[in-house]
Amino acid sequence: MHSFIHFIMGPMVWISFMIFFFGVIFRFLKMFKLINEKEIFIYTYMSLKYSFRSIFAWLIPFLPVSTRKSPVFYSISYIFHLLLFLVPVCLLSHVLLIEESVQWSWFAFNDSVSDTLTLVIIFSLIFFMVRRIVVPEVKFLTKPSDFIFILIVGLPFVTGFLAFHQFFAYRWLVIAHVLSGELMLILIPFTRFSHMFMAPFTRAYTGSEFGSVRHAKDW
Amino acid sequence: MKLKQCIFIMMILLFVTAFSAYSKEDIPTADNSAFKHPQRPAAVFDHDEHNEKANLEDDCSYCHHVYENKKLIKDESSEGSSCSECHPLKSSLKNAIPLRTAFHKRCKECHFKSDKGPVLCGECHVKKAR
Ligand code: HEC
Ligand code: HEC
Ligand code: HEC
Ligand code: HEC
Ligand code: HEM
Ligand code: HEM
Repeated sequence: MHSFIHFIMGPMVWISFMIFFFGVIFRFLKMFKLINEKEIFIYTYMSLKYSFRSIFAWLIPFLPVSTRKSPVFYSISYIFHLLLFLVPVCLLSHVLLIEESVQWSWFAFNDSVSDTLTLVIIFSLIFFMVRRIVVPEVKFLTKPSDFIFILIVGLPFVTGFLAFHQFFAYRWLVIAHVLSGELMLILIPFTRFSHMFMAPFTRAYTGSEFGSVRHAKDW
Repeated sequence: MKLKQCIFIMMILLFVTAFSAYSKEDIPTADNSAFKHPQRPAAVFDHDEHNEKANLEDDCSYCHHVYENKKLIKDESSEGSSCSECHPLKSSLKNAIPLRTAFHKRCKECHFKSDKGPVLCGECHVKKAR
């Protein structure tokens, strides 16, 4: 048992990060290969200036018109994405494990703060699910895989929360937590998770097209 | 939602709270007063019983060690002083191992090696029922 725990909390973490890292590089190469084969003409109007203009415009909460049309969804989405990175990176137990294995450490929230923020994340995910069931326009576009995606994102948070509170089956919850966290890292580059990397490029592309071809704003 | 489903969820909630509220007897813990704002419940550690079970009674210096110029002095022990007298809260030039890491490294390393004893946060920092 101990050697299994040691493996999933030691080498397996690095393996997952490597798969994540190389998966990302692979996806980028594949994307550029596709562009070079099919749509090489977009280089004629891709522009750094308009790309960044568009990316930054979309980073400012409620600047883009479409975000103002559904303020509730976008507020929750902004907060969710912020916490999604902030909470695991600044989580005391994560920082502490990293410090003990590689001697780097950085700021960590108090446990009670992360615990509350974890609940906020879990409720945003429930909101995303409910939205996909309740709002007709969204329901129409929803595939079963959208729910699986939300479940995979939610699992590390739910198991982490339950483990932290030591409600029941503590050891198994931590094991489930670590495995689901690693599963998520491994899957990010290869599934719909890749919207994380593709979103800035979509913006760059649309921004450039609107900026240098149509001479218009895209937000 | 149907009534049956509501009742089912209520049952689960009751079950969970009952689970988390059963009271444990008072277990001795390692002193955590050296930490300014302890984040976790103090770690369960019954000094004498532990060392008897783990066969450490003849080797006090395994934990209560003595260093001179960053070199471990064998066969000398420091059980008169607590870990926090030498290990600061943040790593410094004088001692690179902060107190928290000192505890964790000392305790977990051996548990992993001997395949016995707790290794996960909550197995040492056990939440007590109020
Ligand atoms: C598994 C590691 C370990 C071993 C082995 C061990 N101790 Fe300890 N001991 C501790 C810890 C941890 C404390 C709490 C120290 C602290 O709070 O800084 C402690 C505290 C003490 C204290 C109280 C010190 C104080 O500041 O109040 C004494 C006395 C002591 N140990 C004696 C012994 C003797 C004698 C032995 C050998 C038979 C021994 N210990 C073996 C871990 C150990
Ligand atoms: C007399 C001072 C002193 C006391 C008391 C002391 N330490 Fe240390 N300890 C040191 C020094 C000095 C180092 C070396 C730090 C460095 O490398 O900068 C060290 C290193 C360590 C290390 C890392 C090196 C290794 O062997 O893996 C651990 C773990 C550790 N101490 C745990 C403890 C624990 C647990 C206690 C209390 C039971 C304790 N120490 C009490 C002085 C002390
Ligand atoms: C040199 C090895 C070693 C070190 C160092 C050590 N342990 Fe242990 N520990 C063991 C072993 C072996 C057991 C299993 C004893 C048994 O139940 O047979 C154990 C069991 C335990 C248990 C469970 C006791 C029980 O009754 O089930 C706790 C709690 C524990 N250790 C805490 C600590 C803490 C806290 C420290 C650091 C201050 C520590 N240990 C350092 C070897 C060690
Ligand atoms: C083998 C037992 C053991 C395990 C496993 C363990 N700890 Fe500890 N930890 C201790 C001991 C002993 C101390 C020192 C004094 C105390 O808290 O009783 C300590 C101290 C701490 C402290 C500093 C005191 C405080 O409460 O702020 C933090 C934070 C902490 N541990 C978090 C964790 C986290 C997070 C994990 C899991 C990644 C973990 N510990 C796993 C034994 C353990
Ligand atoms: C990759 C390996 C991972 C390891 C080894 C790991 C380890 C841990 C450990 C040991 C805890 C503490 C459990 C406790 O307090 O008892 C924890 C809590 C937590 N983890 Fe992870 N984790 C990993 C990945 C992730 C990922 C990918 C996420 C989310 C994206 C995540 C989110 C959380 C959260 C939110 C908590 C705390 C919940 C709370 O305090 O309420 N973890 N993790
Ligand atoms: C910087 C990186 C990221 C960017 C720019 C980004 C961007 C976006 C955008 C634009 C949406 C679309 C909102 C919509 O449906 O209209 C979205 C939704 C979402 N993202 Fe991200 N994202 C990022 C990272 C991540 C990561 C790492 C995860 C999970 C691990 C994630 C999980 C989600 C979820 C669960 C949704 C909601 C999906 C739904 O409604 O079903 N995002 N994100």
